[in-house]
Amino acid sequence: MAVVEVRGLRKRFGPVTAVHELSFDVQAGSVTGFLGPNGAGKTTTLRMLLGLITPDAGTATIGGKPYGELEEPLRQVGAVLEASSFHPGRSARNHLRIQALAGHVHQSRVDEVLELVQLADVAGRRVGKFSLGMKQRLGLATALLADPEVLILDEPANGLDPEGVRWLRGLLREFAADGGTVLVSSHLLAEVAQTVDSVVILDHGRLVAQSSLAKLTEAAGRGGLEEAFLRLTAGAGKEVTR
Amino acid sequence: MSRLVRIELLKLRITRLGYGLLGTAAGLTALFSVLEGSRAGNGGAVEPLNTSSGFNSMITGGVWALVLATVLGATISSGEFRHQTATQTYLATPARGRVLAAKAMAGAIAGAVFGLVGYLIALGAGLAFVAGHGYQVPLSDATLARYGAGHLLAGALLAAIGVAIGSLIRSQLAAVIGVFVWTIIVESLLGGLFTSVRPYLPYTAATTLSGSALGGAAFGPAHNVSGGTPLPFAAATALLAGVAVALSLLAARTTVRRDIT
Repeated sequence: MAVVEVRGLRKRFGPVTAVHELSFDVQAGSVTGFLGPNGAGKTTTLRMLLGLITPDAGTATIGGKPYGELEEPLRQVGAVLEASSFHPGRSARNHLRIQALAGHVHQSRVDEVLELVQLADVAGRRVGKFSLGMKQRLGLATALLADPEVLILDEPANGLDPEGVRWLRGLLREFAADGGTVLVSSHLLAEVAQTVDSVVILDHGRLVAQSSLAKLTEAAGRGGLEEAFLRLTAGAGKEVTR
Repeated sequence: MSRLVRIELLKLRITRLGYGLLGTAAGLTALFSVLEGSRAGNGGAVEPLNTSSGFNSMITGGVWALVLATVLGATISSGEFRHQTATQTYLATPARGRVLAAKAMAGAIAGAVFGLVGYLIALGAGLAFVAGHGYQVPLSDATLARYGAGHLLAGALLAAIGVAIGSLIRSQLAAVIGVFVWTIIVESLLGGLFTSVRPYLPYTAATTLSGSALGGAAFGPAHNVSGGTPLPFAAATALLAGVAVALSLLAARTTVRRDIT
């Protein structure tokens, strides 16, 4: 069953078409990798899915509704978009207190998620003093706070150390095993190959592949996901960050 | 809606900027009031403190709290863009018009506190100077209560106007500079040049609501001209509320709808 449905999504910024007639699904109980070179339109698509950017055409729904029409959005969708969107003067705990109030979540859950993302020891410290990895963990804590059914994550592994990346992989796999749905964008193809069930690949704002990971890597032979990705986005002339 | 207002009030309580602005408002009010009190009755511009005009000059110190309340309002909305927290705010509450309304209400509550603090400091300084000179307070209790209510209302409504300005401009620095330029320069020039429109200028109307003489709280030319009648209490309140609503609606239909990239 498709939980996330994107149909004919289009967005232009001035002369640049960031997303062009994009359609794809994300199935319930799976981890879907959202891949593409820099500037492929991944972040714009995720922000349209979350109601932060208005598309020029097309629809993006979660559980059959646009994000703006969800009754309790934080309970349905947890999102990590960028590590910099925290008030630097607030502590991690206070940031989560605000989100808990907004999401109708009991304040005791704040300490639970701080433990879960291993930030309990620095919960009272101002976020402006946090490293990128700590901000990513706080972003994940925010996303998980209201125990959502869907996670939408934009480059959540950026800034995480190897132990953190491994921890994140386990978290996402466990979330999907419990019936949750994950859409995660990443440049770390080796990591994606270990985490996702299926992939959606964009290039220049267009869909170039939607497939199960197994099918895609089988077709690519020994090169695996990286080979498949580079072949599908060939000619883009863009660097793939590893 | 009450939950959204509580969220905005929580944001204010746990962030240092609001306390800094309140402290600045208190300090400037105290400084201005003491300076006016010291000058009163020395043959200069300030009448003796046993006259209502002289006592009013001291109470006028409270307008600093009104200016800073407007600045606070502007930071409540523009701060979301400065720190990119608008993303989290709109993920939690996609109905952006409701977020703006909640910010205006929270701003109004905080602005009322600013107005009250400013008034208490200005009044306290005034009473201390009057007592020091052995004078009787030249204003009735009812008038003093009306000035207190005026400070409260003016602080609340100017802060709500500040929220709308911050939503329209979105750059925190530009919004804050804009508030100071408007209150200190633009209204003073306009009020000085066109005495007939002076009572209807928002900051001027707010200061007359809080008890200042028309032009008494102006920083430039409008301070030294006569002419025009201050708006009655209800009319000044309605004018400020109208400006707050009009600017909020404009923001809700334009800048608030913009993409959060």
